[in-house]
Amino acid sequence: MNQHLSSEQISKWMSGDRTPQEEQHVRACPECSAEVVRLEATLQLFRGSVRRLSEQQRGIAPQTLRQALPARSPTVWRLRWALAVAALLIAVAIPLYKGAKNEQRQREMAKADAALLEQIDAEVSRAVPAPMEPLISLVAWDSTNTRGGVEKR
Amino acid sequence: MTDVLKSSAVELDDFDGVVRLHWPRVFRFALASLRDRDAAETVTQDCFLKAYRGKDGFRGESSVITWLLQIAVNLIRDHARNRRLQFWKRNRTADFDFDGASNEIVNRDESPESRTLAKQQLEAIWRASENLPERQRTVFLLRFVEDLDLLEIAAATGMKEGTVKIHLHRALQTVRARMENLR
Repeated sequence: MNQHLSSEQISKWMSGDRTPQEEQHVRACPECSAEVVRLEATLQLFRGSVRRLSEQQRGIAPQTLRQALPARSPTVWRLRWALAVAALLIAVAIPLYKGAKNEQRQREMAKADAALLEQIDAEVSRAVPAPMEPLISLVAWDSTNTRGGVEKR
Repeated sequence: MTDVLKSSAVELDDFDGVVRLHWPRVFRFALASLRDRDAAETVTQDCFLKAYRGKDGFRGESSVITWLLQIAVNLIRDHARNRRLQFWKRNRTADFDFDGASNEIVNRDESPESRTLAKQQLEAIWRASENLPERQRTVFLLRFVEDLDLLEIAAATGMKEGTVKIHLHRALQTVRARMENLR
């Protein structure tokens, strides 16, 4: 194999897919060998940078499973309890409020009904309609007078 | 039971020891895959919790770390899918900065030009690996960051060895093309 390795062959080489002929060529060819070494060195740099970055970002590695799992802080628990109590209070308060409001509405309706009935009673018990009431006294005084006058005649 | 399987089973009996030994590696893989510290932390926690709950079902067909990475691969895939749906969280990955890490890694004995080129190539690999399709990225990271061989990658991803080779080859082609642009 006298030709240099193609870009594809070099990629295959790096992924571990290499023929004995290619291996022989890379050993003998300074250019291909340099290309493989350069690529390996860059990938090594990449590996190193990921590892360094991971160490920087990781903080202290946990020593036990308990340490590794997220601990719920007391504040979170307190907040959860407060939310649960608030939800419970709302659930109880809404029916109570609705019941009280209904009761008040029924009382007001009963009061209005009673007032209306009283008004009707008053209307029914009158001898004449309300606007004619002043005339009743007039008619009563005049009729005796008139009757007397007629009798006199 | 072979010696490897026996040792895996014994290793799982001391689960705290498993956490101590493998936590950094699982976290590193999650971080390199997701580029988000909080997400990597969550995935690592979930991975160990899932492993602990499922340890009785571990048949010892692979090493403990390969088994853990297999769980991590699935969790990372689920997480990435969820993140795609949560479009408002996409920008979070943008604040992931590796400048400090690359500065420490690049050899200071080299000339300024060589160091600049090395940093640029490193950045090119980072960017290229970030934009790789999910499977290619997983295979690429397992090979070149976690140093797994092809059979271990096949076990961790559930792919056949031939499929792993194809994904790795394609990923390398993309990464190399990105590096070539710098020359």
